[in-house]
Amino acid sequence: MKKILLFSVILFAAIIANGQIIRAEVTAIGLTCSMCSKATYKQLASIPEVENVEPDLNNTAFILFFKNGSAVNINDIKGKVEEAGFAIGELLVVFNFKNQQAENNKTFTVDKTLYTFMDTKSSNLAGEVKVKVLDKGYVVEKEYKKLSKMIKQYPSYATVSKNSYHIKTL
Amino acid sequence: MKRILFVAFLFISLGAISQELFVFTEPASNMPGKSLGVRDMNAFMYEKDGKLNYHNMPELMWGINKKWMVHAQGFISNRQEGGFETEGGSLYAKYRFYSEDDIQSHFRMALYGRYSLNKADIHQQELETMGHNTGYEAGFIATKLLHKVAISSSLSYERALDNGEKYKFPTAESNSAMNYTLSVGKLMLPKVYKSFKQTNVNLMLELLGQRLNENRKSYLDIAPSIQFIINSQARVDIGYRQQVYSTMIRTAPNGMVLKFEYTFFNAFK
Repeated sequence: MKKILLFSVILFAAIIANGQIIRAEVTAIGLTCSMCSKATYKQLASIPEVENVEPDLNNTAFILFFKNGSAVNINDIKGKVEEAGFAIGELLVVFNFKNQQAENNKTFTVDKTLYTFMDTKSSNLAGEVKVKVLDKGYVVEKEYKKLSKMIKQYPSYATVSKNSYHIKTL
Repeated sequence: MKRILFVAFLFISLGAISQELFVFTEPASNMPGKSLGVRDMNAFMYEKDGKLNYHNMPELMWGINKKWMVHAQGFISNRQEGGFETEGGSLYAKYRFYSEDDIQSHFRMALYGRYSLNKADIHQQELETMGHNTGYEAGFIATKLLHKVAISSSLSYERALDNGEKYKFPTAESNSAMNYTLSVGKLMLPKVYKSFKQTNVNLMLELLGQRLNENRKSYLDIAPSIQFIINSQARVDIGYRQQVYSTMIRTAPNGMVLKFEYTFFNAFK
């Protein structure tokens, strides 16, 4: 019983320690016209966890505000942009950290999704922190090729999974 | 030759022109997945003696997913004796097989096919499965978007069959053709986006050509158009199609096209 209690406390502490995703800023690529932006906007707004979407038509960018306490999978954002007919050029995610050590190759888990720090200066993160997702399909092709050269330093970058992402603090 | 030079000059002077929602051709891009579009095309084509042929082609379009879309279209016309008649219909499918996206640019390639039924009389050498001939068409499209300018080109094979039991395809005529198109479009307004409610204005210029496989007869048309996108959801196209040259018999090659379109985003969950 004690063990279970202790385990629960640790688990609870771990949940508190790790931040929730509260916002995401996505730049869609492959489009210019407002009809294309609207299609993307409508798709993004249909994600159940999304409360509100703020579009920036000139930059084909969208800020997604998530509902409080919702489990966000960033793979859904990619899926919706692609459904509209386009791709992601940049995805910035805002975490609300309690206390998170940032260090290259260090990982943490939020809502069953694993995040690995990459190309990041070591620091202690607390409060709202904006990070950039570096995986394939979340950056422009040119940038992905550049990042792929860092695979020796970051072996996990070679595997693409919808439950594992590589992030860089900004 | 002079005509070709004239056309080339027109293209150069327009500088490379909108968006890729072309009026006379389809781009390699698809409509958004899970969306539904309704379109009504009205063509007012003049015969040489001045008689006006009116064609109405209502169309339902469905974006199944990011790669596939299908259209179902009906053909209504007053060309036959006795006024308006539903002459036929067609099914169209497009598969986007290649997509390369970058900041405000993309390159796409797609394959498409159309099968049409038509019961009207066969009255010209030109083959047109959109509203005239029973038959099929299969083709390839490539589209490049560069910020406010889109360029698209297509090549297709078209094969005409009998228009029902009553109107057999004449055995002496070529029943197949190659079609080629080149379209350029440019987003003219707005200069800077402020909201989805701003009306967008696109200018386009398209070249539409056909060559009959068996007798090598051909035509080339030029089709300028202006397009208004309202509330980022509705489209009004006004276009004019003009024959540049033709060595084949065509009943009514020149005329106006008026098109209305509305997209229901996320119509299917």
